[in-house]
Amino acid sequence: MSTDTGKRAFTNPFEVETPAGAEGWESMYPYYGLLSEERRASEEKKFWFFDGMHNPTPIYPFDTIMTENWWVGVNQLTTRVWCIPPAGGIDQRFVNGYLYISPGEHPEPDKIGERAEIFSRRAGHYFENWDEIYEQWVVKATDCIKRLEAIEFAPLPAIEPEASVTGHRGLYSTYDLLTSYGKLIENLFEMGSYHFEMLNLGYGAYLTFREFSQEAFPGISDQTVARMVAGIDILLFRPDDEVRKLAQLAVDNGLGEVVKETADPDTLLAAIGERPGGEEWLAAFEAAKDPWFWYSTGAGYTHTDRAWRDDLRLPFNAMRGYIEKIERGESIDRPLETIVQERTRITAEYRDLLASDDDRAAFDELVALARTVYPYVENHNFYVEHWHHSMFWNKVRELGDVFVAHGFLADREDIFLLHRNEIYSALYDLNIGWATMAEPRGPSYWPAQVAQRKGWLEKLAGWTPPPALGLPPEAVTEPLSVMLWGITQETVDEWLGAGADSEGGVLRGVAASPGVVRGPARVVTSAEELHAVEQGDVLICRVTAPSWAPVFSKVAAAVSDLGGIMAHTAIVSREYGLPAVVGTGYGTVRIKNGQMVEVDGDNGVVRILDEEGGG
Amino acid sequence: VSATPMIVWLDEDGDTSARVLGGKFSSLAEMTRAGFAVPGGFGITTAAYEAFVEHNGLAAELREETAALETGDLHAVEALSARLTARILDAPLPPELETAIAGAYTTLAARMGNAELPVAVRSSGVSEDLAGASFAGQYDTYLWVMGTEAVAEHVKRCWSGLFGPQVLTYRPQNDMDTASAGMCVGVQAMVPARAAGVMFTLDPVSGDRSKVVIEACWGLGEGVVSGDVTPDRFRVDKVTLELLASELAVKESMHAFDPASGTVTLRDVPADERELACLQDTTVVELATLAKRIERHRGAPQDIEWAVDDDARVHVLQVRPETVWSQRPARTVTGGGSSRAVDRVLAKFMSPTGGDKA
Repeated sequence: MSTDTGKRAFTNPFEVETPAGAEGWESMYPYYGLLSEERRASEEKKFWFFDGMHNPTPIYPFDTIMTENWWVGVNQLTTRVWCIPPAGGIDQRFVNGYLYISPGEHPEPDKIGERAEIFSRRAGHYFENWDEIYEQWVVKATDCIKRLEAIEFAPLPAIEPEASVTGHRGLYSTYDLLTSYGKLIENLFEMGSYHFEMLNLGYGAYLTFREFSQEAFPGISDQTVARMVAGIDILLFRPDDEVRKLAQLAVDNGLGEVVKETADPDTLLAAIGERPGGEEWLAAFEAAKDPWFWYSTGAGYTHTDRAWRDDLRLPFNAMRGYIEKIERGESIDRPLETIVQERTRITAEYRDLLASDDDRAAFDELVALARTVYPYVENHNFYVEHWHHSMFWNKVRELGDVFVAHGFLADREDIFLLHRNEIYSALYDLNIGWATMAEPRGPSYWPAQVAQRKGWLEKLAGWTPPPALGLPPEAVTEPLSVMLWGITQETVDEWLGAGADSEGGVLRGVAASPGVVRGPARVVTSAEELHAVEQGDVLICRVTAPSWAPVFSKVAAAVSDLGGIMAHTAIVSREYGLPAVVGTGYGTVRIKNGQMVEVDGDNGVVRILDEEGGG
Repeated sequence: VSATPMIVWLDEDGDTSARVLGGKFSSLAEMTRAGFAVPGGFGITTAAYEAFVEHNGLAAELREETAALETGDLHAVEALSARLTARILDAPLPPELETAIAGAYTTLAARMGNAELPVAVRSSGVSEDLAGASFAGQYDTYLWVMGTEAVAEHVKRCWSGLFGPQVLTYRPQNDMDTASAGMCVGVQAMVPARAAGVMFTLDPVSGDRSKVVIEACWGLGEGVVSGDVTPDRFRVDKVTLELLASELAVKESMHAFDPASGTVTLRDVPADERELACLQDTTVVELATLAKRIERHRGAPQDIEWAVDDDARVHVLQVRPETVWSQRPARTVTGGGSSRAVDRVLAKFMSPTGGDKA
């Protein structure tokens, strides 16, 4: 196979054509994130794969902050903190606005022994003190979020307030605006660093247990492996639990009907306030919102991923479903006791099936370690992507309001069309104009830039990024590419041979949740399109998000283009008992809205049953 | 020994040991007592066979002729087999045995509410189904036998199987005196199977004990056993009872009773059913649950024949110990490597795709 793939290559990244109308797109991105003639010799020899798992669409200039964050944040841990012996970092490039990443090898193979010793000592320290370090982590993360919450942006005043003079501070609104922005960016990088502090090791421990289980029990499902280690206090289930509680309280207080009948959240909240028992319910609702409705409808990596707080239709939809269940006399409680009993039973039964005492000793240790790291692996998402990042994007919007107030931008959302470093310049432009009472350049410069960039992004969104570019690797050795992105030799080979298989109306992926179901396809590439999903649809998406929960109660099955082996989304979709196939590569491209499809979650196959409506 | 009855019912509290009922029926009696859904029936015991041999004065002849056989001489084997088979088929049943068989059949037919009850007449050798020697497929089963005369006739056919060429040659290599150990012949109500097959409480290919693997075909299960139809295959996680994989075959033909010829024939599967799974997922899980219970009850991996009727009820037709993997040392994962979890995690980072070697 390796000689075979050696001859074949993906498209040369330098030969990727810019879609018509998007010429000039490069100016949206930082110079270091672009392919260049100067680095061409090394760049075209590398293997680049499309990171659609985290960034399925062209990246807004501001949103590169997230990818740039891990460009340093993840890689420094691999190469300089843990010193994972054979690995280099994962490089990034923006190609037609999409993120391509390239796993690296450590440039000094002779240092492996030295690095192994450092790695073993440092990683050992974290594993041995995991609970305590995680406790500290929660304190750090929560404090970081509180400081983010305190950051405020306001338009510059006509005249500096009296207090700025009487307080003798010597610092004025221009300084505060600039430094608040600085704090905002630093705050993101701070949380970004915490994000990866324990992640590599946590996933590594979990995946080692998973691999052991797969070797001992070939074919064991990911879900079962997860059930052996998962606790019940998973924060990602908490928002849904809060909705269940609110549904129960609505029924208890005689508010079930009004919740069911009122679609618009604002109208609904007002109506509830006017009813007896409404005040108690609203108080409970407000309490649940912070922090549990800081729950992103996407992965949290882009500003378009909005939280429940920003679009209350999602939690209210779910609430209506729960109210109906309560009215039918069904239980809406998660069977926590059963989950714990099952975890114990399953673990014990598998343990008994092992062949030797040595195997049982290794199994016991690995289960214990996986259970130790799992709270972090499961819960960090809530702190980082949901709570922090959702709030972060909203703070950026507040800054957008400042630019709107000063005529730099027409809409607060336009700020995401600027790279974060351009915002520093724009703020200085604003400060100069305010201080000198001369015309700043921003109001005549940025709206045109924004319009052009929107046009580019629209054109780029119509382009289908190939799964990989450049030369296929001889072997994938970078551990995170394997563990987090699921890139293996098989993936690479599959991509090299891809296209052929999808011609016949059959897409193959990973069997993520069992069952076979047919239904009309509903292609969803943005959270906004979730509202179009109807009962019985088969959800076709780039990647599923756990907070799509309300939609999961409607769809008959889920299909995603991408799917990492550790997707929390998979756990949630299995909770809903839906057949799911992930990692089909081309589902959102090949399948059109309304086509009948069959999802075979047992075998990881999606069949397009009628080609009509396709193109 | 003389107290052993000629007929023993599967659900009767008596001596149902393999010495009396043969391996297959002894196991089925045990399964019946444990409450598993085994089709009702009775065994015509080894004592009945002895009485038949005695009644016809065949004992010495059978013993001497088989003992003198040169097993390497295939012509001689076949000639002897034909001669002894004819002797058995020509010999009459002792009258009291004939009456007992007819009486038991009539009772079973009355129990099932069908005077012409179709039954399976099945050989149950004393030395078959022992852990270590499956004797698989060496003795005969006759399906859809109806009426007392036909049953009596097929009982003798089963007995003559003790002297089939393959048994005559198989036996000496195993150093067992099969004929003198005798044979029970079981009679059971036929299950009108919509689908049937075989399941193992381990993966018969890899020996993985965390799986139940089920093979199933339309109609009677004979096709799965004999291999003349390609079955659907289902793999179920034994711990969680998740259906892990369904490999569906295009099932062209099936074994079913043909009223015209009065026999079981191989016939075409209706075109619209060929590519359908012959089991619903819920039935697959029910079968796996059953397999797990049977394995737990019997304390070792099992090979189970089963059938599903038109009402989707599952019936246990045969259980026997799995004989291949049960006798091998199980494969270990650690293979002498460190069992320290942190060491294994570090090794994973060193070589993310390469197992646990750094």
